[in-house]
Amino acid sequence: MTLAVLFPFLMALVCAWAGQKLGRRTGYLAAAAFLPALALALPLAGMPGAAPVTETTRWVAELDLSLAFRGDGFSLLFAVLIGLIGLLASLYSVAYLSATEKFGRFFPYLLLFGGSMLGLVLSDNLIALFGFWEMTSVTSFLLIGLWHTRGAARDGAVKAFLVSALGGLALLTAVAMLVIAGGTASLSGLDLAAVRESPLFTPALLLTILAAATKSAQLPFHLWLPTAMEAPTPVSAFLHSATMVKAGVLLVAKFGLIFGGAALWSGILVPLGLVTLAWGSWLALRQTDLKALLAYSTVSQLGLLVSLYGLADAEGRFAATAHLLNHAAFKAALFFVVGIIDHETGTREIPFLEKLRSKLPLTFVVALVATLSMAGLPPLGGFISKELFYEGMLHRGWPYLAVAVAGSMLTFAYCARLLGIFFARRTPLPAAAEDLREHRVKDHIHEAGPGLLLPPALLAGAALLFGLWPGSAEWLTRTAQGALDFGEYGGHLSLWHGVTPALLATLLTWALGAAVVWQAPAFAALQSRLTPLWNANTVYYTLTQGLGHLASTVVARTQGLALPDQLRIMLLSAGIMGGYAVWRSPQVFQPIGRVPLELVPIGVLLVAGAVGVLLSRNRLTAVIVTGLTGFGSAAAFLALRAPDLALTQLLIEAVTVILFLLAFRYLPGVRDLPRTRGRLILDAVLAGAAGLGTTLLVLSSLRFLAPPISPYYLVNSYSGGGGKNAVNVILVDFRGFDTMGEGLVVAMVALAVSSLVTLGKSGRTRTAPGDSPDLSPLPSRHQNRRRK
Amino acid sequence: MSPKRKKPAPTIGVNSPAPPPLSGDPILRTVSRAAFALVMLFALLLLWRGHNAPGGGFIAGLMTVAALLLHRIATGRSALRVPPLTLIPFGVALSVLTGLVPYLLGQPFLKTAYGYITTPLTGEFEWATALIFDIGVYLTVVGSGLSIAENLAEVHPTERVEEDE
Repeated sequence: MTLAVLFPFLMALVCAWAGQKLGRRTGYLAAAAFLPALALALPLAGMPGAAPVTETTRWVAELDLSLAFRGDGFSLLFAVLIGLIGLLASLYSVAYLSATEKFGRFFPYLLLFGGSMLGLVLSDNLIALFGFWEMTSVTSFLLIGLWHTRGAARDGAVKAFLVSALGGLALLTAVAMLVIAGGTASLSGLDLAAVRESPLFTPALLLTILAAATKSAQLPFHLWLPTAMEAPTPVSAFLHSATMVKAGVLLVAKFGLIFGGAALWSGILVPLGLVTLAWGSWLALRQTDLKALLAYSTVSQLGLLVSLYGLADAEGRFAATAHLLNHAAFKAALFFVVGIIDHETGTREIPFLEKLRSKLPLTFVVALVATLSMAGLPPLGGFISKELFYEGMLHRGWPYLAVAVAGSMLTFAYCARLLGIFFARRTPLPAAAEDLREHRVKDHIHEAGPGLLLPPALLAGAALLFGLWPGSAEWLTRTAQGALDFGEYGGHLSLWHGVTPALLATLLTWALGAAVVWQAPAFAALQSRLTPLWNANTVYYTLTQGLGHLASTVVARTQGLALPDQLRIMLLSAGIMGGYAVWRSPQVFQPIGRVPLELVPIGVLLVAGAVGVLLSRNRLTAVIVTGLTGFGSAAAFLALRAPDLALTQLLIEAVTVILFLLAFRYLPGVRDLPRTRGRLILDAVLAGAAGLGTTLLVLSSLRFLAPPISPYYLVNSYSGGGGKNAVNVILVDFRGFDTMGEGLVVAMVALAVSSLVTLGKSGRTRTAPGDSPDLSPLPSRHQNRRRK
Repeated sequence: MSPKRKKPAPTIGVNSPAPPPLSGDPILRTVSRAAFALVMLFALLLLWRGHNAPGGGFIAGLMTVAALLLHRIATGRSALRVPPLTLIPFGVALSVLTGLVPYLLGQPFLKTAYGYITTPLTGEFEWATALIFDIGVYLTVVGSGLSIAENLAEVHPTERVEEDE
């Protein structure tokens, strides 16, 4: 299992390296990366009744963090689903993507995402689970923004990332609360009784719902999913229909075992899911872009799954798992089909597509099967799981069933609209869609090749199989019974289960759906009248723009000031914070002991340096006089027997003087800013307070709050690190990680300076007239190359 | 950023008038040739002995930056054959690798190892993996310091980004 999770990550490296050479054939490598995940089907085969497979790799034991993977029936089912659709998406991409695509980026991103997703579903350690959860957010950001030269792709990527990162933070908090309350970071080892008793139970529950809702695009967080369709179509099929968005559903299903007993859990999730179902299908019906239609359809189907798992009873979990399988099959197939249509006709806009049945006969068959399954028609898998959905909602109450029927009626209607493109019916162009007029359909439309057709055909075949032979789907669903606690539930999947209220509701759905289709123009008019101007997107853009505005205002108010003003603000705020700290915890000052005599002249030197800077009227003088304090400190270090520090200080002095001088060439001369008398007094008070505060701080630090740690280093540096120079041993061994971090900071500064300077050079600069072009005292070898 | 000031105030700094190119100074060039070699040797010595006596990667790196800058100012060309920025990834990678190897061998991250070997020429001397880590730090510091200095030197003094005004 660990291998199955890590293998895609490894292969991502290989693909990044091979992407340039192999071109689109990299896709075969990517497909191979999912094979270990598919091999997880083997333990799955014996799953109903068998014990879960676990694998644990210790990582950071101090944090209770380990790579613990637990393959119970449900996780493995998910993993195999991810593996299978990942494999199909990779193969499909080979045929789908144009030869100019950046394969060295596309496939690695896809694999990183697949690996994170596998880690997420299999993880048994809550902290690792959160890590994988965030990785899916980051990698989906990369995938959605793959065509980053397009503004819409960037917008979609940022939106998806912001929304799911918000959920990620919620999940982090929820996980922390669960770990505290349950006593361990192991999901299966949590002390459920203690968690339920804990006061953290309700906050953790609410935060989990928030996380699941953002990831699974529940209202009002559905806004990111349609814009995420900017990703290439195979990616959409993989991420946004089959796996990524189901992460939230997975969370609801798995954590339902922890929180399910609470009335609040079902009380929030079931209505939330149902409203999302209805609203998502309402919006789906309004779309003219096939992919957008599918995106909103996904939103609504996810609502269905969330409401079913939210029931938190055996019946609901059984039905939800069955529908999960069906949804994965038909939705991925439909995305692939839309990809084919886009690929072959050059457009995805419904108003431009007509009579595709004769031109794309095979695609039509695949689309027909998948769409009918989505619409919930017999004899397909979608019909069976929808019956179970109705039953579950019926047990909850009539109002729930009514919303479910309304949502499904709209589902039926948009499915019909989707199929309309294959028949002679051409929907009239809505008045609002003026910007679509330049869309062109290719003149000669050919049937897609096997590379494009085979993946959706397989998935549609599965949808058909689940319907004609419900036993197959039921067996698959049953594998999750141990993990989801519906072992005692006796329900079955079957096409005919007698005349039940659910069947009547289904018939009503069809009737209403047919009516909507029949009165399509009237209904569309009604929709555009009812749809409010205000929606989640407006809020999102208002918020993000407001934030940007706030940031630029704050920056303009604080950073635009003259240097003295900035200094005043800094000193003032530092003073306030320091004063508060002193006030909260009064410091005890030690009497200063014996002062070594050699420190006296050094002290004089330091003071002289400080005063000298104040008096100097020239930057060069100021730097040199500042050097006095620097060398004074070095002398002080020497006097206190710290040669390492002294050496460092000396060299830093030398190098900074050079850097100062280089930077000074761009600054105007020192000027005296006019100061009023009041300002002068204020400044004197501020400066005095800052000095006094620093002195007090230093003095108070003379008192040890804890036993000093230095003897430990002095004793252990030779035996533990093998060096006689304790400072160096501390740097490279005891605290080597800190040193590494500091090295990275230094590197980062260099990169920042370099990018700032080259940014100024990249054509956006101009030279002031009248200056000779080469005043630089350091002619550069790289200069010409960069300038050209 | 002082607003509405079109003309820079009279400069008292090094920039008024344009300084003569320093590379023309023969005394500096001659002295620097010897000094450069000596300082570089000393820097390497500091790096080598850092584990047991004052020194170490950071200090040696700073000293090397100083030496290279001196060489650059005196002769007008860089003694380094590659852009200094390219040293950084090697330095960082070296440090991380020294940390990773003991970790993969089941030790704590960044745990150093040391021992003694005796060769006929040098007698007994100590080796420590800490030196490799230090070299990583050294490379990072040299790359960063030199690249900052070079970048500052390469910006044309009168060059301004449009948005500045």
